[in-house]
Amino acid sequence: MSDVGKNIIRARENGAKVVGCFPLYPPLELLHSFGLIPLVLWDLKEQVHTLKESDRHLQPFTCSVARRITEFVLSTEGSLFDGFLMYNACDTLRNMPEIITRGLEERGLSRPFLKFHVPMTPARQTDSTGYFAGRIRELIIEIENAFGVRFSSERFLASVRLYNAIKKLSLEMENLVAEGRMSYGDFSLLIGKGFFMTPEDYLSALDGAAEKAKSNPAKNISGGRKIIVSGILPPPDALCSIIENAGLRVVGNDVASQARSYAYVPREVGDPVSYYTDFYRNHHPCTTLLYSSDERLTLLTGLIEKKNAQGLIFIGEKFCEYEYLEMPFIMKTLKQKYIAMLQLEIATDDHEHVEAFRTRIEAFSELIG
Amino acid sequence: MAEEKDKTKGFMKSESGRRLTQILTKDYLDLHQRAGEGAFVVWVAIIVPAELFYGFDNVVFAVPESHAALSAAKGVGMLQCEKAEHNGYSMDICSYARIDIGTAMSGGQDSPTFGLPRPHLLVSNNNNCSLLVKWFDVYHREWNVPHFILDIPFCYEMQKETDLKYIVTQFHDLIRTIETLSGQKFNIDKVQEALRNSSGAAKQYKRFIDCAVHRPSGITAFDSFVQMAPLLTSRGRPEIVDHFRKLAEETEEKIRSGEFPLPEERYRLFWDSIAPWHQLRKMSSRLADLHANIIAASYTSCLGSIEGSYEFIQEYENGNPLESLARMQNFSVCPYGMELRFKAMSWAARHYGIDGFVFASNRSCKVYSVMQMDLQKRISEELKIPSVMIDVDHADVRKYSEENAFLRMEALLENIDAGRARPII
Repeated sequence: MSDVGKNIIRARENGAKVVGCFPLYPPLELLHSFGLIPLVLWDLKEQVHTLKESDRHLQPFTCSVARRITEFVLSTEGSLFDGFLMYNACDTLRNMPEIITRGLEERGLSRPFLKFHVPMTPARQTDSTGYFAGRIRELIIEIENAFGVRFSSERFLASVRLYNAIKKLSLEMENLVAEGRMSYGDFSLLIGKGFFMTPEDYLSALDGAAEKAKSNPAKNISGGRKIIVSGILPPPDALCSIIENAGLRVVGNDVASQARSYAYVPREVGDPVSYYTDFYRNHHPCTTLLYSSDERLTLLTGLIEKKNAQGLIFIGEKFCEYEYLEMPFIMKTLKQKYIAMLQLEIATDDHEHVEAFRTRIEAFSELIG
Repeated sequence: MAEEKDKTKGFMKSESGRRLTQILTKDYLDLHQRAGEGAFVVWVAIIVPAELFYGFDNVVFAVPESHAALSAAKGVGMLQCEKAEHNGYSMDICSYARIDIGTAMSGGQDSPTFGLPRPHLLVSNNNNCSLLVKWFDVYHREWNVPHFILDIPFCYEMQKETDLKYIVTQFHDLIRTIETLSGQKFNIDKVQEALRNSSGAAKQYKRFIDCAVHRPSGITAFDSFVQMAPLLTSRGRPEIVDHFRKLAEETEEKIRSGEFPLPEERYRLFWDSIAPWHQLRKMSSRLADLHANIIAASYTSCLGSIEGSYEFIQEYENGNPLESLARMQNFSVCPYGMELRFKAMSWAARHYGIDGFVFASNRSCKVYSVMQMDLQKRISEELKIPSVMIDVDHADVRKYSEENAFLRMEALLENIDAGRARPII
């Protein structure tokens, strides 16, 4: 059984109900404040090794994220979840609640599946705050009804503080990676595991890793080969090694499951409407948050300048059309600024076959060195 | 003008076909002319309520999706896709988007309509296809054109009142945006008139596609694919009410006089996907040789209806036009989920007397295709109607294998025969 499965069993043994959430920015604090354990179902490559169940429901031209979520949720471990929550993201994922519900029904299982709409209108265009407030209040009632729990403002504030502590520590660790005190591969692995841990355990794991990294000496790198990594998913672990062995240092990232998830730390308030209005409206730009994509390019170029990076490696997710449509313009803009960019494409099985990328990464390293 | 029977089976040339060509030609010529004379140009996604633009004196709209479909049908889809690919756009992106980007980046070269006039405003929505927001973002960035995103919540159930009000709020914001950018004043009375025209046209179009109820069917779904274009590019204009009324009358008259696209119809099939634009004539004639007719499609049956239904409801007389337009934001098949789609398709199976379903798995359209595997299982298990899944990209011919597709469709027909031969217990 995977670590995730073990974590779910442990949480349930402690009397908690476990809720599987996707995509990346669900209202974790809210779920946690009810005493539920929310786990973000993202980048399940360590947990999912075959796609037998998924292939009964999804065509092979869907992304690895959707295929792995389906496989995992419909597996024995997935059946341990007490419920699910999903908010609107892309054309593929919006079909998932009904596909998963049907898949579970085929196994004789019935689980609550909460769906939540995050407004995608830019603030300068439409004031969606009233509508959004209604959705948050509706969601609270749905959670209460689905899991037999009651909302508490005090508990919500405590959960907000806990998750904000995780965000702040993640940012701190990103800087330790930039200083060479910790490898990006180790950092990426730890952040990835965090999605499947209780926030308390995750914070403790981050804290331990940060303390250890601080005791390591800062390392200079020859030739100043500093890069930024971007993508919906982080580079596979083996690819992280290739990047670092090629003499490149990841001094910052624009990865959806990393910086995009922790970079913005919202104000700590006990009112979920105010909190999530701030959370989504000022969220670190992400291709999946349609209203924020204008800011993504500005932020990316700003990050490159701030971190004094010489290049960007884009980890393309096969069949993620959102990212595909943004990339050519980003590439053009970076080229005009004389910033080198390497675009890689990772398909579902590629995390085990990254050697093909080695030469390209080494050449890229030489190019910017 | 006398009717002439086309040499190709499963296809009949008609007066309405000729009139359609005239309407579309005039649409694109007028669009270019008015844009050249200074009209405010808006590019829209197909579900964006174009009727709103009639509330302004000098606003014209273009529909890139429709232009892409036309390009594919005219055989230049692959050429335009390749232009986009050479500019860094992945081959895995929707072929409509690639055709449109390829056309735009080459200044309209090779387009059957000389491309589209450059927009002053882009209006996308995310319910029919959220990828389209990103597609329009390409122009927003490349040309520095404002982009208005209509955020329409996806429906797993019938549209909620709160969602409808949220949509109406956005329509008000869209009107204000156009007033500010174009300097023109908005008049809602003109919108009511346009809405009546759209409603009237959709009603007549439904009458036309209902000619498929007759045995043998009075139409093929391929006719309905072709004829849907003015519902998108000419929405709101009085001429299209007239066009669709004549189309329905002409088709009904043919049924009365015993003229059918496939008189020896043995298999009545239902198509679930966007039209295979590059294969219209080829696919319909080859199916006709097998005595099979795709008589209806979710793609066209849904027009003028709401989520979970293919029955006509777009009747508009009076009342708040913005609310009516908001209610119609789900008049295509994509903005709602599997339960509702299954409900609508079950109705269609009964209404049209369907023998078999063809699920066209379309890698260019995730929103249409992701759920088809479960939908297909439900159709087989609950409706007990045979079905098949084939791979077809709606506009990129490189992602289609005719022989593979027909091998499967022939197996479907055999399956239907086997079911007929089976004794009823």
